[in-house]
Amino acid sequence: MIYSSELIKGTLKTIVLKLLEDNNRMYGYEITQKVKELTFDKIQITEGALYPTLHVLEEDGLVTTELEYNGKRARKYYTLSPEGKNKTKERVSELADFMNTMKFLLDIKTQNA
Amino acid sequence: MYCISDEQIEFILSDISARGVELEGLQLNLLDHICCIIEQELEENGDFRPFYEATIRRFYKERLSEIEDETHLLLTNKNYYVMKKVMISSGVFAATSLSFGIFFKYMHWAGASILITLGIGIASLVFLPLIVTLKVKEQRAAKDKLLIVLGSISAIAIALGILFKVQHWPGANMLGVISPAILALVFLPIYFFSGIRNPETKVNTIVSSALIIIGCGLFFTLTITSKTSRLMEVRNTAAYLRSTYILKSEEQAVLSLPTPPAAAPALALGKQIYLSCEELRAQLVAYAAHGATSIGDDFEDKNVLLGDATSYDYFSENPKTAELLTAMERDVKQYNAANTALATRGVKPIPASYIVFNQEEPKPLDKISSSLNDLIQIQMMVLQNQRAIAGSTKEKMLSSIQ
Repeated sequence: MIYSSELIKGTLKTIVLKLLEDNNRMYGYEITQKVKELTFDKIQITEGALYPTLHVLEEDGLVTTELEYNGKRARKYYTLSPEGKNKTKERVSELADFMNTMKFLLDIKTQNA
Repeated sequence: MYCISDEQIEFILSDISARGVELEGLQLNLLDHICCIIEQELEENGDFRPFYEATIRRFYKERLSEIEDETHLLLTNKNYYVMKKVMISSGVFAATSLSFGIFFKYMHWAGASILITLGIGIASLVFLPLIVTLKVKEQRAAKDKLLIVLGSISAIAIALGILFKVQHWPGANMLGVISPAILALVFLPIYFFSGIRNPETKVNTIVSSALIIIGCGLFFTLTITSKTSRLMEVRNTAAYLRSTYILKSEEQAVLSLPTPPAAAPALALGKQIYLSCEELRAQLVAYAAHGATSIGDDFEDKNVLLGDATSYDYFSENPKTAELLTAMERDVKQYNAANTALATRGVKPIPASYIVFNQEEPKPLDKISSSLNDLIQIQMMVLQNQRAIAGSTKEKMLSSIQ
């Protein structure tokens, strides 16, 4: 099952921030592959959603970027800024809290219980 | 693993930009991303072009520039909510302030002018511009954006024109003519001819256009044309000129009358008041008639007219003359006191304060022509009182002879 884009939209920023926290320095394609790998293809981030989000994170000063040229190609690497590190913790704990609330609200029983 | 050549990289880059992606950072991101996919997923001797076309197709729903649009949208959305909040609160504030201002105005309470100025100012400088910015973002077609901007500019200019008019700030008349002109001559044709072609909007376009024309028509109906305003100035000037002639002949007649020694202090004060009024009138005339020193019978040919300048403006710009007015009002009080004993002879007191211009509660609408009229009336009263004193003296003299 692949999750709907509406579900992913609200959590995309948090996913990207958390991945950068764990992997230090990443580029766009790498992020999409990593998410696919970690979620066994259940979450597939589209390019159309990823790059605008990365752009906004950069604009907000949560990530810093480095361009590495390889001939005519350039790869943009993203790293968390100190502010971004704080924000990541905030967003992850907010999402965890939200998920608990949703569980309660929708009365979801944990599957392996 | 497929190996991408420099030509292919250049081809991809130019294709991305031809598909409407203009942000350089985004171009580089997409280029690298596509290259990665091709390198990972295309076999070593695979066919580049069809694979590339299929890959890029995965990036969008309708066109590639969606990614750039989404980027812009996310960036502007950050401000969107703040702008919307400010728009709503400024709108509510402007409407409230203006309503209270109008209520205060009718009740003659202090602060009406500040409330009205604040209301119109915030409505035209914060509320309306924010509506435009937000509405323009919602529209896709350039024509619709232009219509919103043009319509709002005329609305802002109309609001400011009215504010300038009531505050007597310069440029009010220009704003008042230009703003409906933009609405009727620029906005309306674009709106009408673009809306009338579409069967869905046809009826609405005709109704709205008619409303705009009627609105502008009503606005111009209220406006005084330059010819009418000149006519009013000529009438005012002619009326003032007649008053000065009447005053002059009265002055001649009174001067020839005998003056009793008992009335000397009152007469001296009266003369002082009379001269002060002359001086005040000369200053006010020079101001209202744009520097002319005197008004003669040929005022219309020479174009020496009493304009619609206000005493409010004059006295706030000329504190020295304002002092002279205060001194004159003080003299009038003394004069009235000195004359109380003579009341039986028909001497009447002159209204002492605020007759020419109320300096304690200045009203911006007070016209110079009405101040001039008041001054002449004071002078006439001085002369009438002098005639009353002289008249009773004459009777006494006659009775003593008999």
